[in-house]
Amino acid sequence: MTTKSKNSRTYKSYHIWSWTLRIFHWTYAISIIILIFTGLIINNPPVLSSFTVEKANFFFSNVRQLHFIAGYFLISAMILRLYLLFFGNKYEKIADFIPINKQNFKSLIHTIKYYLYLTPHSEGAKGHNVLAGTIYVLTFLFSLIMILTGLYMLYPETGWIKSLGSFLFGTQQSARALHYLLFWFFPIFILTHLYILVWHEIREPEGLISSIVSGKKFSRSTDLQ
Amino acid sequence: MLELKELSRRDFLRICTAITATLGLPFTYVETVQSAVQAKRKPTVIWLHFMECTGCSETLLRASHPPLGRFLLEIVDLPYHETLMAGAGLQAEESLHKAVKENKGEFILVVEGAVSTKDGGIYCQIGGRPALQILKEVAKDAKLVIAYGTCATFGGIQSADPNPTGAVGVSEIIGTSKLINVSGCPPNPYNLLATVAYLLTFNRVPPLDEFKRPLFAYGRRIHDHCERRAHFDEGRFAESFGDEGHKRGYCLYKLGCKGPVTYANCMTLKFCDIGAWPIGAGHPCLGCTEPDFWDKMTPFYEHLKDVPIPGGGIISNAEKIGAIALAGAGLAIAVHAGAGFVKKALKNRANDENKKEEGA
Ligand code: SF4
Repeated sequence: MTTKSKNSRTYKSYHIWSWTLRIFHWTYAISIIILIFTGLIINNPPVLSSFTVEKANFFFSNVRQLHFIAGYFLISAMILRLYLLFFGNKYEKIADFIPINKQNFKSLIHTIKYYLYLTPHSEGAKGHNVLAGTIYVLTFLFSLIMILTGLYMLYPETGWIKSLGSFLFGTQQSARALHYLLFWFFPIFILTHLYILVWHEIREPEGLISSIVSGKKFSRSTDLQ
Repeated sequence: MLELKELSRRDFLRICTAITATLGLPFTYVETVQSAVQAKRKPTVIWLHFMECTGCSETLLRASHPPLGRFLLEIVDLPYHETLMAGAGLQAEESLHKAVKENKGEFILVVEGAVSTKDGGIYCQIGGRPALQILKEVAKDAKLVIAYGTCATFGGIQSADPNPTGAVGVSEIIGTSKLINVSGCPPNPYNLLATVAYLLTFNRVPPLDEFKRPLFAYGRRIHDHCERRAHFDEGRFAESFGDEGHKRGYCLYKLGCKGPVTYANCMTLKFCDIGAWPIGAGHPCLGCTEPDFWDKMTPFYEHLKDVPIPGGGIISNAEKIGAIALAGAGLAIAVHAGAGFVKKALKNRANDENKKEEGA
Protein backbone atom coordinates (compact mmCIF):
# COMPACT_ATOMS: atom_id res chain seq x y z
CA MET A 1 0.00 0.00 0.00
CA THR A 2 2.79 2.37 0.76
CA THR A 3 3.91 2.52 -2.81
CA LYS A 4 0.46 3.31 -4.10
CA SER A 5 0.58 6.70 -5.74
CA LYS A 6 -1.82 9.48 -4.89
CA ASN A 7 -3.76 9.23 -8.09
CA SER A 8 -4.76 5.65 -7.74
CA ARG A 9 -6.64 6.01 -4.48
CA THR A 10 -10.08 4.48 -4.65
CA TYR A 11 -13.18 6.33 -3.59
CA LYS A 12 -16.64 5.19 -2.72
CA SER A 13 -19.73 7.26 -3.11
CA TYR A 14 -22.30 7.61 -0.37
CA HIS A 15 -25.56 9.46 -0.11
CA ILE A 16 -25.47 12.43 2.19
CA TRP A 17 -27.72 15.40 1.35
CA SER A 18 -31.48 14.90 1.23
CA TRP A 19 -33.42 16.55 -1.57
CA THR A 20 -34.85 18.95 1.04
CA LEU A 21 -31.41 20.19 1.88
CA ARG A 22 -30.50 20.57 -1.76
CA ILE A 23 -33.67 22.56 -2.42
CA PHE A 24 -32.82 24.69 0.58
CA HIS A 25 -29.33 25.30 -0.70
CA TRP A 26 -30.32 26.45 -4.15
CA THR A 27 -33.26 28.53 -3.02
CA TYR A 28 -31.01 30.18 -0.50
CA ALA A 29 -28.14 30.68 -2.93
CA ILE A 30 -30.23 32.15 -5.73
CA SER A 31 -32.24 34.41 -3.47
CA ILE A 32 -29.09 35.68 -1.77
CA ILE A 33 -27.51 36.53 -5.09
CA ILE A 34 -30.62 38.38 -6.22
CA LEU A 35 -30.84 40.13 -2.86
CA ILE A 36 -27.24 41.26 -3.08
CA PHE A 37 -27.61 42.85 -6.50
CA THR A 38 -31.02 44.39 -5.93
CA GLY A 39 -29.86 45.53 -2.49
CA LEU A 40 -26.93 47.37 -3.98
CA ILE A 41 -29.26 49.12 -6.38
CA ILE A 42 -31.70 50.06 -3.64
CA ASN A 43 -28.87 51.50 -1.60
CA ASN A 44 -27.70 53.65 -4.45
CA PRO A 45 -30.25 53.72 -7.25
CA PRO A 46 -29.24 54.89 -10.71
CA VAL A 47 -31.32 57.68 -12.17
CA LEU A 48 -32.75 56.13 -15.31
CA SER A 49 -35.96 58.03 -15.58
CA SER A 50 -37.03 61.63 -15.81
CA PHE A 51 -39.88 63.61 -17.25
CA THR A 52 -37.63 64.64 -20.10
CA VAL A 53 -37.48 61.16 -21.57
CA GLU A 54 -40.58 59.79 -23.23
CA LYS A 55 -40.60 56.41 -21.60
CA ALA A 56 -41.45 55.46 -18.08
CA ASN A 57 -39.61 52.36 -16.98
CA PHE A 58 -40.58 51.75 -13.39
CA PHE A 59 -37.11 50.32 -12.94
CA PHE A 60 -36.65 51.17 -9.30
CA SER A 61 -40.02 49.80 -8.24
CA ASN A 62 -39.33 46.57 -10.08
CA VAL A 63 -35.96 46.23 -8.42
CA ARG A 64 -37.54 46.70 -5.02
CA GLN A 65 -40.27 44.24 -5.90
CA LEU A 66 -37.64 41.70 -6.88
CA HIS A 67 -35.79 42.33 -3.63
CA PHE A 68 -38.92 41.65 -1.61
CA ILE A 69 -39.82 38.51 -3.58
CA ALA A 70 -36.30 37.17 -3.19
CA GLY A 71 -36.61 38.04 0.49
CA TYR A 72 -39.65 35.81 0.78
CA PHE A 73 -37.80 32.98 -0.95
CA LEU A 74 -35.02 33.48 1.54
CA ILE A 75 -37.52 33.18 4.38
CA SER A 76 -38.91 29.95 2.91
CA ALA A 77 -35.41 28.54 2.52
CA MET A 78 -34.61 29.42 6.10
CA ILE A 79 -37.73 27.67 7.36
CA LEU A 80 -36.68 24.57 5.47
CA ARG A 81 -33.20 24.67 6.95
CA LEU A 82 -34.52 25.32 10.41
CA TYR A 83 -36.58 22.16 10.11
CA LEU A 84 -33.56 20.19 8.92
CA LEU A 85 -31.39 21.49 11.74
CA PHE A 86 -33.50 19.43 14.09
CA PHE A 87 -35.25 16.80 12.01
CA GLY A 88 -32.90 16.28 9.06
CA ASN A 89 -30.59 13.32 8.57
CA LYS A 90 -27.55 12.77 10.71
CA TYR A 91 -25.37 15.14 8.72
CA GLU A 92 -27.96 17.86 8.47
CA LYS A 93 -28.65 18.14 12.17
CA ILE A 94 -27.01 21.01 13.97
CA ALA A 95 -25.29 18.80 16.55
CA ASP A 96 -23.18 17.22 13.81
CA PHE A 97 -21.30 20.35 12.85
CA ILE A 98 -20.97 22.81 15.68
CA PRO A 99 -18.26 22.56 18.33
CA ILE A 100 -20.42 21.33 21.18
CA ASN A 101 -18.45 18.27 22.16
CA LYS A 102 -14.80 17.36 22.44
CA GLN A 103 -14.64 15.46 19.20
CA ASN A 104 -16.23 18.26 17.20
CA PHE A 105 -13.98 20.78 18.83
CA LYS A 106 -10.93 18.74 17.90
CA SER A 107 -12.03 18.52 14.31
CA LEU A 108 -12.62 22.28 14.26
CA ILE A 109 -9.00 22.83 15.26
CA HIS A 110 -7.89 20.24 12.75
CA THR A 111 -9.72 21.92 9.89
CA ILE A 112 -8.34 25.31 10.79
CA LYS A 113 -4.84 23.81 10.71
CA TYR A 114 -5.60 22.10 7.42
CA TYR A 115 -6.76 25.33 5.86
CA LEU A 116 -3.64 27.07 7.11
CA TYR A 117 -1.46 24.42 5.45
CA LEU A 118 -0.27 23.29 8.86
CA THR A 119 -1.32 19.74 8.31
CA PRO A 120 -1.40 17.96 4.96
CA HIS A 121 -4.48 15.83 5.51
CA SER A 122 -8.08 16.83 5.63
CA GLU A 123 -9.86 15.25 8.50
CA GLY A 124 -12.33 13.86 5.98
CA ALA A 125 -15.58 14.87 7.63
CA LYS A 126 -18.53 12.99 6.20
CA GLY A 127 -20.92 15.92 6.33
CA HIS A 128 -20.00 19.54 6.96
CA ASN A 129 -16.70 19.93 8.66
CA VAL A 130 -17.06 21.71 11.96
CA LEU A 131 -15.44 24.93 10.79
CA ALA A 132 -17.76 25.19 7.82
CA GLY A 133 -20.71 24.16 9.98
CA THR A 134 -20.00 26.90 12.50
CA ILE A 135 -19.76 29.49 9.76
CA TYR A 136 -23.03 28.21 8.30
CA VAL A 137 -24.75 28.61 11.64
CA LEU A 138 -23.40 32.15 11.82
CA THR A 139 -24.66 32.79 8.30
CA PHE A 140 -28.01 31.43 9.37
CA LEU A 141 -28.16 33.88 12.27
CA PHE A 142 -27.10 36.77 10.07
CA SER A 143 -29.77 35.86 7.54
CA LEU A 144 -32.28 35.85 10.36
CA ILE A 145 -31.25 39.37 11.34
CA MET A 146 -31.45 40.43 7.68
CA ILE A 147 -34.95 39.01 7.47
CA LEU A 148 -36.12 40.67 10.67
CA THR A 149 -34.65 44.07 9.84
CA GLY A 150 -36.02 43.74 6.32
CA LEU A 151 -39.52 42.94 7.50
CA TYR A 152 -39.35 45.80 9.98
CA MET A 153 -38.60 48.22 7.15
CA LEU A 154 -41.10 46.69 4.76
CA TYR A 155 -44.00 46.66 7.23
CA PRO A 156 -43.51 49.80 9.29
CA GLU A 157 -47.10 49.93 10.49
CA THR A 158 -47.84 46.26 11.13
CA GLY A 159 -48.38 45.89 14.86
CA TRP A 160 -46.34 42.86 15.87
CA ILE A 161 -43.57 43.41 13.33
CA LYS A 162 -43.21 47.01 14.46
CA SER A 163 -43.13 46.03 18.13
CA LEU A 164 -40.66 43.23 17.54
CA GLY A 165 -38.50 45.38 15.27
CA SER A 166 -38.29 48.31 17.62
CA PHE A 167 -37.68 45.96 20.54
CA LEU A 168 -34.80 44.22 18.79
CA PHE A 169 -33.27 47.02 16.75
CA GLY A 170 -34.64 50.32 18.02
CA THR A 171 -35.45 52.85 15.34
CA GLN A 172 -35.94 52.17 11.65
CA GLN A 173 -32.65 53.91 11.01
CA SER A 174 -30.78 51.52 13.32
CA ALA A 175 -32.42 48.59 11.58
CA ARG A 176 -31.46 50.01 8.22
CA ALA A 177 -27.83 50.56 9.24
CA LEU A 178 -27.62 47.00 10.56
CA HIS A 179 -29.26 45.65 7.41
CA TYR A 180 -26.67 47.46 5.36
CA LEU A 181 -23.62 46.53 7.41
CA LEU A 182 -24.54 42.86 7.62
CA PHE A 183 -25.13 42.88 3.88
CA TRP A 184 -21.38 42.89 3.36
CA PHE A 185 -21.05 39.57 5.08
CA PHE A 186 -22.86 37.83 2.23
CA PRO A 187 -20.66 38.67 -0.76
CA ILE A 188 -17.65 37.87 1.42
CA PHE A 189 -19.25 34.59 2.41
CA ILE A 190 -19.98 33.62 -1.18
CA LEU A 191 -16.47 34.44 -2.27
CA THR A 192 -14.88 32.42 0.52
CA HIS A 193 -17.37 29.59 0.17
CA LEU A 194 -16.61 29.13 -3.52
CA TYR A 195 -12.88 29.47 -3.07
CA ILE A 196 -12.66 26.89 -0.29
CA LEU A 197 -14.83 24.50 -2.27
CA VAL A 198 -12.53 24.63 -5.25
CA TRP A 199 -9.41 24.53 -3.11
CA HIS A 200 -10.75 21.55 -1.21
CA GLU A 201 -11.73 19.74 -4.40
CA ILE A 202 -8.24 20.11 -5.79
CA ARG A 203 -6.58 18.73 -2.69
CA GLU A 204 -9.16 16.21 -1.65
CA PRO A 205 -11.55 15.15 -4.41
CA GLU A 206 -14.58 14.30 -2.31
CA GLY A 207 -17.11 15.62 -4.79
CA LEU A 208 -18.17 18.52 -2.58
CA ILE A 209 -19.36 20.60 -5.48
CA SER A 210 -21.43 17.94 -7.23
CA SER A 211 -22.82 16.76 -3.91
CA ILE A 212 -25.08 19.76 -3.64
CA VAL A 213 -26.70 18.74 -6.92
CA SER A 214 -26.61 14.96 -6.70
CA GLY A 215 -26.69 14.52 -2.96
CA LYS A 216 -23.71 12.15 -3.13
CA LYS A 217 -20.25 12.62 -1.75
CA PHE A 218 -17.14 10.51 -2.16
CA SER A 219 -14.91 9.21 0.49
CA ARG A 220 -11.62 7.35 0.37
CA SER A 221 -12.65 3.74 0.41
CA THR A 222 -10.41 2.95 3.37
CA ASP A 223 -12.26 5.54 5.39
CA LEU A 224 -15.52 3.85 4.83
CA GLN A 225 -14.45 0.49 6.11
CA MET B 1 -43.89 91.55 27.28
CA LEU B 2 -44.79 89.24 24.50
CA GLU B 3 -48.09 90.04 22.95
CA LEU B 4 -50.21 87.34 21.48
CA LYS B 5 -52.57 88.10 18.68
CA GLU B 6 -56.23 88.22 19.57
CA LEU B 7 -58.12 84.99 18.97
CA SER B 8 -61.37 85.45 17.10
CA ARG B 9 -64.25 83.00 17.19
CA ARG B 10 -63.52 82.18 13.60
CA ASP B 11 -59.86 81.34 14.40
CA PHE B 12 -60.96 79.25 17.32
CA LEU B 13 -63.18 77.14 15.11
CA ARG B 14 -60.50 76.86 12.47
CA ILE B 15 -58.02 75.50 14.99
CA CYS B 16 -60.59 73.07 16.38
CA THR B 17 -61.21 71.81 12.88
CA ALA B 18 -57.50 71.43 12.19
CA ILE B 19 -57.02 69.56 15.45
CA THR B 20 -59.91 67.23 14.70
CA ALA B 21 -58.38 66.47 11.34
CA THR B 22 -54.95 65.93 12.92
CA LEU B 23 -56.48 63.39 15.26
CA GLY B 24 -57.89 61.60 12.25
CA LEU B 25 -61.43 62.14 13.40
CA PRO B 26 -64.28 62.80 10.97
CA PHE B 27 -65.59 66.29 10.41
CA THR B 28 -68.67 65.56 12.52
CA TYR B 29 -66.40 65.43 15.55
CA VAL B 30 -65.44 69.07 15.34
CA GLU B 31 -68.29 70.06 17.60
CA THR B 32 -67.43 67.39 20.16
CA VAL B 33 -63.81 68.48 20.27
CA GLN B 34 -64.78 72.12 20.42
CA SER B 35 -67.15 71.73 23.35
CA ALA B 36 -64.67 69.51 25.16
CA VAL B 37 -61.85 72.04 24.93
CA GLN B 38 -64.19 74.85 25.93
CA ALA B 39 -65.39 73.16 29.11
CA LYS B 40 -65.79 75.37 32.16
CA ARG B 41 -62.99 73.89 34.20
CA LYS B 42 -59.77 74.30 32.32
CA PRO B 43 -57.03 71.79 33.09
CA THR B 44 -53.92 73.24 34.66
CA VAL B 45 -50.74 72.95 32.64
CA ILE B 46 -47.33 73.55 34.13
CA TRP B 47 -44.62 74.12 31.59
CA LEU B 48 -40.98 73.50 32.45
CA HIS B 49 -37.99 74.53 30.33
CA PHE B 50 -34.67 72.77 30.63
CA MET B 51 -31.70 72.45 28.26
CA GLU B 52 -33.07 73.66 24.95
CA CYS B 53 -33.32 76.50 22.47
CA THR B 54 -36.98 77.26 23.26
CA GLY B 55 -37.75 76.61 19.61
CA CYS B 56 -40.59 74.34 20.67
CA SER B 57 -42.38 77.19 22.42
CA GLU B 58 -41.48 79.47 19.53
CA THR B 59 -43.29 77.28 17.01
CA LEU B 60 -46.35 77.57 19.16
CA LEU B 61 -46.12 81.35 19.51
CA ARG B 62 -44.97 82.23 16.03
CA ALA B 63 -47.81 80.40 14.40
CA SER B 64 -49.44 83.74 13.79
CA HIS B 65 -52.44 82.94 11.71
CA PRO B 66 -54.29 81.59 13.51
CA PRO B 67 -52.61 82.29 16.85
CA LEU B 68 -52.03 78.88 18.38
CA GLY B 69 -50.42 80.19 21.53
CA ARG B 70 -53.56 82.14 22.33
CA PHE B 71 -55.62 79.06 21.61
CA LEU B 72 -53.60 77.09 24.15
CA LEU B 73 -54.28 79.78 26.74
CA GLU B 74 -57.98 79.54 25.89
CA ILE B 75 -58.22 75.84 26.57
CA VAL B 76 -55.85 75.42 29.49
CA ASP B 77 -54.83 77.27 32.60
CA LEU B 78 -51.10 77.99 32.36
CA PRO B 79 -49.77 79.25 35.68
CA TYR B 80 -46.12 78.54 34.97
CA HIS B 81 -44.32 78.95 31.66
CA GLU B 82 -40.92 80.61 31.93
CA THR B 83 -41.02 82.23 28.52
CA LEU B 84 -44.55 83.55 28.74
CA MET B 85 -45.07 84.45 32.37
CA ALA B 86 -44.80 87.98 33.70
CA GLY B 87 -43.25 87.04 37.01
CA ALA B 88 -39.53 86.54 37.55
CA GLY B 89 -37.14 85.35 40.22
CA LEU B 90 -38.58 84.32 43.57
CA GLN B 91 -42.02 85.39 42.51
CA ALA B 92 -41.92 82.94 39.62
CA GLU B 93 -40.63 80.11 41.77
CA GLU B 94 -43.43 80.72 44.16
CA SER B 95 -46.07 80.50 41.50
CA LEU B 96 -44.64 77.13 40.51
CA HIS B 97 -44.87 75.80 44.04
CA LYS B 98 -48.33 77.19 44.45
CA ALA B 99 -49.55 75.69 41.19
CA VAL B 100 -48.13 72.28 42.02
CA LYS B 101 -49.59 72.32 45.50
CA GLU B 102 -53.03 73.46 44.45
CA ASN B 103 -53.37 71.00 41.60
CA LYS B 104 -51.68 67.99 43.11
CA GLY B 105 -52.32 64.89 41.01
CA GLU B 106 -54.45 66.91 38.59
CA PHE B 107 -52.21 68.99 36.41
CA ILE B 108 -50.56 68.18 33.11
CA LEU B 109 -46.83 68.77 33.03
CA VAL B 110 -45.28 69.83 29.74
CA VAL B 111 -41.51 69.52 29.61
CA GLU B 112 -39.37 71.24 27.03
CA GLY B 113 -35.67 70.48 26.80
CA ALA B 114 -33.32 67.75 27.94
CA VAL B 115 -32.21 67.11 31.50
CA SER B 116 -28.57 67.02 32.53
CA THR B 117 -27.68 64.09 34.78
CA LYS B 118 -23.92 64.29 35.03
CA ASP B 119 -22.37 65.48 38.29
CA GLY B 120 -25.75 65.63 39.95
CA GLY B 121 -27.27 67.60 37.09
CA ILE B 122 -25.42 70.82 37.86
CA TYR B 123 -25.16 71.80 34.20
CA CYS B 124 -28.74 72.98 34.06
CA GLN B 125 -30.03 74.81 37.08
CA ILE B 126 -33.00 77.05 37.58
CA GLY B 127 -33.22 79.20 40.68
CA GLY B 128 -30.11 77.40 41.95
CA ARG B 129 -31.64 73.95 41.74
CA PRO B 130 -30.74 71.29 39.18
CA ALA B 131 -33.33 70.59 36.51
CA LEU B 132 -33.07 66.93 37.45
CA GLN B 133 -34.41 67.64 40.90
CA ILE B 134 -37.12 70.04 39.72
CA LEU B 135 -38.40 67.52 37.18
CA LYS B 136 -38.53 64.68 39.68
CA GLU B 137 -40.42 66.81 42.19
CA VAL B 138 -42.95 68.31 39.83
CA ALA B 139 -43.52 65.13 37.80
CA LYS B 140 -44.28 63.21 40.97
CA ASP B 141 -47.46 65.24 41.45
CA ALA B 142 -48.47 65.47 37.82
CA LYS B 143 -51.34 63.50 36.37
CA LEU B 144 -49.65 63.26 32.99
CA VAL B 145 -46.36 64.37 31.54
CA ILE B 146 -46.00 65.52 27.95
CA ALA B 147 -42.43 65.71 26.72
CA TYR B 148 -42.54 68.34 24.01
CA GLY B 149 -39.79 68.38 21.39
CA THR B 150 -36.95 66.00 20.66
CA CYS B 151 -34.75 67.27 23.51
CA ALA B 152 -37.41 66.43 26.05
CA THR B 153 -38.40 63.16 24.42
CA PHE B 154 -35.03 61.67 23.53
CA GLY B 155 -32.35 64.10 24.67
CA GLY B 156 -31.91 66.00 21.41
CA ILE B 157 -28.66 67.66 20.46
CA GLN B 158 -27.55 67.98 24.09
CA SER B 159 -27.36 64.22 24.34
CA ALA B 160 -25.46 63.80 21.07
CA ASP B 161 -22.11 62.14 21.31
CA PRO B 162 -19.98 62.89 23.40
CA ASN B 163 -22.79 64.24 25.56
CA PRO B 164 -20.66 66.26 28.00
CA THR B 165 -23.49 67.04 30.41
CA GLY B 166 -25.05 63.58 30.48
CA ALA B 167 -28.23 64.96 28.95
CA VAL B 168 -31.19 62.60 28.67
CA GLY B 169 -34.84 62.75 27.72
CA VAL B 170 -37.63 62.90 30.27
CA SER B 171 -38.40 59.19 30.04
CA GLU B 172 -34.98 58.33 31.44
CA ILE B 173 -35.75 60.26 34.60
CA ILE B 174 -39.37 59.55 35.38
CA GLY B 175 -40.09 56.41 33.36
CA THR B 176 -42.81 56.08 30.79
CA SER B 177 -45.86 55.18 32.85
CA LYS B 178 -47.54 58.58 32.53
CA LEU B 179 -45.53 60.01 29.68
CA ILE B 180 -46.55 61.13 26.20
CA ASN B 181 -43.74 62.01 23.81
CA VAL B 182 -44.47 64.69 21.23
CA SER B 183 -41.16 64.74 19.43
CA GLY B 184 -39.74 66.81 16.61
CA CYS B 185 -37.14 69.52 16.24
CA PRO B 186 -39.23 71.57 16.43
CA PRO B 187 -42.38 69.54 16.95
CA ASN B 188 -45.48 70.56 15.12
CA PRO B 189 -47.54 72.68 17.55
CA TYR B 190 -50.74 71.10 16.25
CA ASN B 191 -49.55 67.75 17.56
CA LEU B 192 -49.29 69.17 21.06
CA LEU B 193 -52.69 70.86 20.86
CA ALA B 194 -54.24 67.75 19.38
CA THR B 195 -52.81 65.64 22.19
CA VAL B 196 -54.29 68.00 24.77
CA ALA B 197 -57.58 68.09 22.88
CA TYR B 198 -57.65 64.30 22.79
CA LEU B 199 -57.13 64.15 26.53
CA LEU B 200 -59.95 66.61 27.08
CA THR B 201 -62.33 65.02 24.60
CA PHE B 202 -61.90 61.36 25.42
CA ASN B 203 -60.51 61.66 28.91
CA ARG B 204 -57.77 59.13 28.23
CA VAL B 205 -54.33 58.93 26.72
CA PRO B 206 -54.25 58.56 22.93
CA PRO B 207 -52.84 55.29 21.55
CA LEU B 208 -49.05 55.48 21.65
CA ASP B 209 -46.28 53.79 19.70
CA GLU B 210 -43.21 51.97 21.06
CA PHE B 211 -41.50 55.26 21.80
CA LYS B 212 -44.56 56.68 23.56
CA ARG B 213 -45.48 58.97 20.69
CA PRO B 214 -49.18 59.40 19.83
CA LEU B 215 -49.99 57.19 16.87
CA PHE B 216 -52.23 59.79 15.25
CA ALA B 217 -49.13 61.86 14.61
CA TYR B 218 -46.27 59.36 14.61
CA GLY B 219 -47.95 56.28 13.19
CA ARG B 220 -46.71 56.51 9.64
CA ARG B 221 -43.34 57.07 8.06
CA ILE B 222 -42.86 60.27 6.10
CA HIS B 223 -41.79 58.23 3.09
CA ASP B 224 -45.03 56.23 2.97
CA HIS B 225 -47.10 59.34 2.53
CA CYS B 226 -44.65 61.69 0.89
CA GLU B 227 -45.66 63.88 -2.00
CA ARG B 228 -42.47 62.91 -3.84
CA ARG B 229 -43.06 59.18 -3.43
CA ALA B 230 -44.15 58.69 -7.02
CA HIS B 231 -40.73 59.92 -8.11
CA PHE B 232 -39.08 57.46 -5.76
CA ASP B 233 -40.97 54.52 -7.23
CA GLU B 234 -40.27 55.61 -10.76
CA GLY B 235 -36.60 56.16 -10.01
CA ARG B 236 -36.53 59.93 -10.51
CA PHE B 237 -34.02 61.37 -8.07
CA ALA B 238 -32.30 64.63 -7.32
CA GLU B 239 -28.61 63.84 -7.09
CA SER B 240 -27.27 67.12 -5.86
CA PHE B 241 -28.78 70.35 -4.66
CA GLY B 242 -29.79 72.51 -7.56
CA ASP B 243 -29.41 69.89 -10.26
CA GLU B 244 -32.05 69.21 -12.88
CA GLY B 245 -33.81 66.56 -10.79
CA HIS B 246 -33.85 68.84 -7.77
CA LYS B 247 -35.35 71.69 -9.78
CA ARG B 248 -38.02 69.39 -11.09
CA GLY B 249 -38.99 68.30 -7.59
CA TYR B 250 -37.85 64.70 -7.77
CA CYS B 251 -37.35 62.41 -4.78
CA LEU B 252 -34.59 63.42 -2.34
CA TYR B 253 -33.55 59.88 -1.41
CA LYS B 254 -30.08 60.28 -2.83
CA LEU B 255 -29.58 63.50 -0.92
CA GLY B 256 -29.85 61.55 2.30
CA CYS B 257 -33.58 61.87 2.90
CA LYS B 258 -34.51 60.15 6.17
CA GLY B 259 -38.20 60.00 5.27
CA PRO B 260 -37.99 56.21 4.84
CA VAL B 261 -37.00 55.75 8.48
CA THR B 262 -38.89 58.54 10.19
CA TYR B 263 -42.33 58.40 11.76
CA ALA B 264 -44.08 61.76 11.69
CA ASN B 265 -47.06 63.53 10.13
CA CYS B 266 -45.18 66.48 8.59
CA MET B 267 -46.17 65.34 5.11
CA THR B 268 -49.87 65.78 5.82
CA LEU B 269 -49.96 68.40 8.56
CA LYS B 270 -47.14 70.62 7.27
CA PHE B 271 -45.97 73.73 9.05
CA CYS B 272 -46.68 77.37 9.71
CA ASP B 273 -50.24 77.18 8.37
CA ILE B 274 -48.99 77.83 4.87
CA GLY B 275 -48.51 74.23 3.81
CA ALA B 276 -44.74 74.34 3.92
CA TRP B 277 -42.52 71.52 5.08
CA PRO B 278 -38.88 70.54 4.49
CA ILE B 279 -39.34 67.97 1.73
CA GLY B 280 -41.88 70.18 0.01
CA ALA B 281 -39.27 72.92 0.00
CA GLY B 282 -36.67 70.63 -1.54
CA HIS B 283 -34.75 69.71 1.57
CA PRO B 284 -34.35 66.06 2.59
CA CYS B 285 -35.95 64.96 5.84
CA LEU B 286 -33.45 64.89 8.73
CA GLY B 287 -35.43 62.43 10.82
CA CYS B 288 -35.78 64.82 13.76
CA THR B 289 -38.65 62.96 15.44
CA GLU B 290 -36.63 59.80 15.95
CA PRO B 291 -34.57 58.84 19.01
CA ASP B 292 -30.87 59.83 18.86
CA PHE B 293 -31.31 61.62 15.61
CA TRP B 294 -28.15 63.70 15.97
CA ASP B 295 -26.11 60.55 16.31
CA LYS B 296 -27.95 58.19 14.02
CA MET B 297 -29.24 60.38 11.22
CA THR B 298 -25.95 62.13 10.55
CA PRO B 299 -24.40 62.80 8.12
CA PHE B 300 -27.64 64.42 7.11
CA TYR B 301 -26.99 64.25 3.38
CA GLU B 302 -26.08 60.58 3.26
CA HIS B 303 -28.74 58.08 3.98
CA LEU B 304 -26.56 55.87 6.12
CA LYS B 305 -24.56 56.60 9.19
CA ASP B 306 -20.82 56.68 9.42
CA VAL B 307 -19.39 53.75 11.29
CA PRO B 308 -16.90 54.28 14.07
CA ILE B 309 -14.04 51.82 13.89
CA PRO B 310 -13.60 50.25 17.32
CA GLY B 311 -10.45 51.37 19.07
CA GLY B 312 -9.23 53.79 16.42
CA GLY B 313 -12.03 56.28 16.84
CA ILE B 314 -11.80 56.87 13.10
CA ILE B 315 -15.10 57.40 11.42
CA SER B 316 -15.55 56.06 7.97
CA ASN B 317 -18.39 55.83 5.56
CA ALA B 318 -20.39 52.60 5.89
CA GLU B 319 -19.98 51.97 2.21
CA LYS B 320 -16.20 52.14 2.43
CA ILE B 321 -16.10 49.69 5.30
CA GLY B 322 -17.99 47.10 3.27
CA ALA B 323 -15.79 47.60 0.25
CA ILE B 324 -12.66 47.32 2.36
CA ALA B 325 -13.91 44.14 4.01
CA LEU B 326 -14.74 42.63 0.64
CA ALA B 327 -11.34 43.60 -0.78
CA GLY B 328 -9.74 42.19 2.36
CA ALA B 329 -11.47 38.87 1.82
CA GLY B 330 -10.34 38.82 -1.80
CA LEU B 331 -6.79 39.54 -0.73
CA ALA B 332 -6.88 36.83 1.93
CA ILE B 333 -8.02 34.35 -0.70
CA ALA B 334 -5.25 35.38 -3.05
CA VAL B 335 -2.66 35.02 -0.29
CA HIS B 336 -4.09 31.66 0.70
CA ALA B 337 -4.02 30.36 -2.85
CA GLY B 338 -0.54 31.80 -3.36
CA ALA B 339 0.69 30.09 -0.22
CA GLY B 340 -0.70 26.82 -1.56
CA PHE B 341 1.19 27.17 -4.81
CA VAL B 342 4.42 28.13 -3.10
CA LYS B 343 4.11 25.21 -0.74
CA LYS B 344 3.50 22.80 -3.55
CA ALA B 345 6.44 24.12 -5.51
CA LEU B 346 8.71 23.76 -2.50
CA LYS B 347 7.49 20.22 -1.95
CA ASN B 348 8.06 19.26 -5.56
CA ARG B 349 11.54 20.62 -5.43
CA ALA B 350 12.27 18.71 -2.23
CA ASN B 351 10.91 15.55 -3.84
CA ASP B 352 13.10 16.07 -6.88
CA GLU B 353 16.14 16.52 -4.72
CA ASN B 354 15.29 13.42 -2.75
CA LYS B 355 15.00 11.46 -5.96
CA LYS B 356 18.31 12.80 -7.16
CA GLU B 357 19.93 11.75 -3.93
CA GLU B 358 18.36 8.32 -4.16
CA GLY B 359 19.57 7.97 -7.73
CA ALA B 360 23.09 8.99 -6.82
S1 SF4 C 1 -38.31 62.69 -0.67
FE1 SF4 C 1 -37.73 61.35 1.03
S2 SF4 C 1 -39.65 60.76 2.01
FE2 SF4 C 1 -40.16 61.62 0.01
S3 SF4 C 1 -40.27 59.83 -1.35
FE3 SF4 C 1 -38.18 60.61 -1.48
S4 SF4 C 1 -37.03 59.43 0.07
FE4 SF4 C 1 -39.21 59.17 0.51
